[in-house]
Amino acid sequence: MPFTQFTSFDFDDIKVQIKNFLRSNSNFDGFDFEGSNFSVLIDTLAYNTYINAFNANLVANEAYLDSAIVRENVVSLARNIGYVPRSRKAAVATIKLDDIDLGTTNDNTTKFLKLRAGLVCIGSVENTTFRFSLPEDITSSRIVDIGGNSFAQFDDEISIFEGTYLTRTYLVDASIDQRYIIDSPDIDTSTLRVYVGAQGETSLGRKYSQVDNILSLSKTSEIYLGQEVQDEKFEILFGDGLFGKALENGQRIIATYIVTEGKDGNGPSEFDFQGTFSKDDGTFFTPSDTVTITTVSNATDGADVENVSSIKYFAPRLYSAQYRAVTPRDYEAIIGNIFPRTESVSVVGGEELDPPQFGKVQISIKPKNGTFVSDFDKTIIKNKLKNFAVAGIDNEIVDLKILYIEIDTNVYYNPAQIASSLDLKSDIMTALNLYSNNVEINKFGGRFKYSKLSQLIDRVNDGITSNITRVKIRRDLKALLNQFAQYELCFGNRFHINPAGYNIKSTGFTLSGTTGTVFLTDVPNKDSAGNLDGSNKGTISVVTRNEKDQQIVVIKEAGGVDYLKGEILLNTINISSTAADNNLIEVQAFPESNDVVGLKDLFVKFDVSNSSINMLKDVIASGEDVSGVVFTRDYYTSSYSNGVLERK
Amino acid sequence: MAIQRKSRSFKDISFSFSPHPVTKDLPVLINERAIVRSVRNLVETIPTERFFNPLLGTDIRDSLFENFSRSTVTIIEDQIRNTLDIFEPRVNNVNVQVTARPNDNNLDVLVFFNIKGTDLPPQNFSFMLEPTR
Repeated sequence: MPFTQFTSFDFDDIKVQIKNFLRSNSNFDGFDFEGSNFSVLIDTLAYNTYINAFNANLVANEAYLDSAIVRENVVSLARNIGYVPRSRKAAVATIKLDDIDLGTTNDNTTKFLKLRAGLVCIGSVENTTFRFSLPEDITSSRIVDIGGNSFAQFDDEISIFEGTYLTRTYLVDASIDQRYIIDSPDIDTSTLRVYVGAQGETSLGRKYSQVDNILSLSKTSEIYLGQEVQDEKFEILFGDGLFGKALENGQRIIATYIVTEGKDGNGPSEFDFQGTFSKDDGTFFTPSDTVTITTVSNATDGADVENVSSIKYFAPRLYSAQYRAVTPRDYEAIIGNIFPRTESVSVVGGEELDPPQFGKVQISIKPKNGTFVSDFDKTIIKNKLKNFAVAGIDNEIVDLKILYIEIDTNVYYNPAQIASSLDLKSDIMTALNLYSNNVEINKFGGRFKYSKLSQLIDRVNDGITSNITRVKIRRDLKALLNQFAQYELCFGNRFHINPAGYNIKSTGFTLSGTTGTVFLTDVPNKDSAGNLDGSNKGTISVVTRNEKDQQIVVIKEAGGVDYLKGEILLNTINISSTAADNNLIEVQAFPESNDVVGLKDLFVKFDVSNSSINMLKDVIASGEDVSGVVFTRDYYTSSYSNGVLERK
Repeated sequence: MAIQRKSRSFKDISFSFSPHPVTKDLPVLINERAIVRSVRNLVETIPTERFFNPLLGTDIRDSLFENFSRSTVTIIEDQIRNTLDIFEPRVNNVNVQVTARPNDNNLDVLVFFNIKGTDLPPQNFSFMLEPTR
């Protein structure tokens, strides 16, 4: 028998193959017994084969970005296509310093006060303290004289970075193959400052700036590139005299950086000043009074080093984007790189908008720790995007629109197989919560798959016999209180039309000039015979209820609904308050298809907390009811929506 | 009349690897010699020594570090018997004799067994358990 099977990687399989081979090709026959000498030889041979197979497999896997697992290899492969993984990000807080008393004004009064780089504050949150540092010196805006005393004023808000400020000095020795590696794996590379000067120079030297590609570099550009090397450490690479200025023998390099705790540093809102000042002559200055700090924003945006799966996802995309933002995929890769907190990005070309807006690109970003990107971050992203964007294209960063999916599920269970229906309900809730975190749903362009969810519920326990699940879609309308405003809500999914109405429901709100809580409801357009007219449109009305629970129309034509496009338009109204918190009006509809898609800039989110789970006994399965009469009478569930006015 | 079953022959390689003076063939172990060698290998293998088969072998060398008593003898006997029961299906009637030599710091172990399906007399082999240093 030829020895032709090469597919087995398992030790036992290899051993069986060798034995089979020997059985047909040798005179020996004691190898089937573990104690035999031959068995010892076969074990050694199989082990050797196994190790070789394992090594070959490992080497082949680690040679490609798609299959590599070891971080060092993934980083190295990504480096080949010009991708530098994101380092840890220090949590950043913004503070303002009150005026610093410099004492009596005289000839020796300093012309400016400098807040020195290094430790500046201790921030605390939940009994934990963090150090906050400055990567660079900050100079006061002015010195003012108030009543004979001088005060230093810092006008601008100061961004402070969570972490410890460190300095590392290297001496250039051209005789050896020198590498400039920063020892700590926990640095935030955005806080890295590199200065090159002559040995013994009193000042820091010339500041070199970090670049991420060699485009538009000359031989005199004072730049450095960075790359991640072993153990998540960061290496600084200087120019070679062609692309970027080369280092000279004996020069001194000073690298200053902040070593951070990453995302653990998020949260501190109270800060104690621990920084140091220096005067115009370079001497230290200690304020006589306590330095008062006002917190402008809490420490946020701290993040861990980019993980392997993210590197594998973004490296090829950034490479294919080639430092220009043209296609939506380019934007996705570039935004992920310039704004590390990005969880998901949706980019819609203006030509796809309704009405089309040529030359415009609409970008929505879902950040990792929240829902909205601050205006400050939007400006930064837009500015950074300018380096990549094609001329004539206007980038607009719009706020995220969340399309919530809620379910009403009626779960039938066999009481004979279930210990407690409450426990079962909690198990279903856990399973749904797990499913709601699925990346397939929580993203732009995500799709909620009804059959998967229905199956998931059935599989939670063998005692579940079936489920009837209704799907609702919801959007939250942020009301501008006491202002006349028009509102438009796009659901991006076709609505189911019940000719009787009640397709659109809302939580309560009040209108200026009227009393009582009102709700939104819809009336589909009908022909003279009272049937749907086929226009797939309808009228939105504002209604209320009187004390006898009768519906009273407040505004008959408050807007329109397009059931086909999944769009609700509200004409000018003045909302004075809302029943839901945060000035929100929750507006729900029933989708025509149970599979819900996140269209364009809609971010699909499965909202388990607003979903309801109703446990029902399956009396047929348990044997209590053999004819189905009791089931039909007491445990019947409709698969369609109810006719209630109000969203509950 | 009961059916007489004859065992097939067994042929194993010898680890001496010294070639036959005339034929230059590698030496082979046949039948009872192959089985005795196998039993010896099993008894003298320390668990975890074999790749991917950590339970194969006996821990009897560890007994040298125990105070000698009747229970030590029982442990050694049990271990050898169990190992042969599991890993050597060609033998049965395993018997173990342990003689302690406390003054010499060693144990004499004699293992007897029958080879299944043969007319051969009971086989045995002995070895001495002693500290190597």
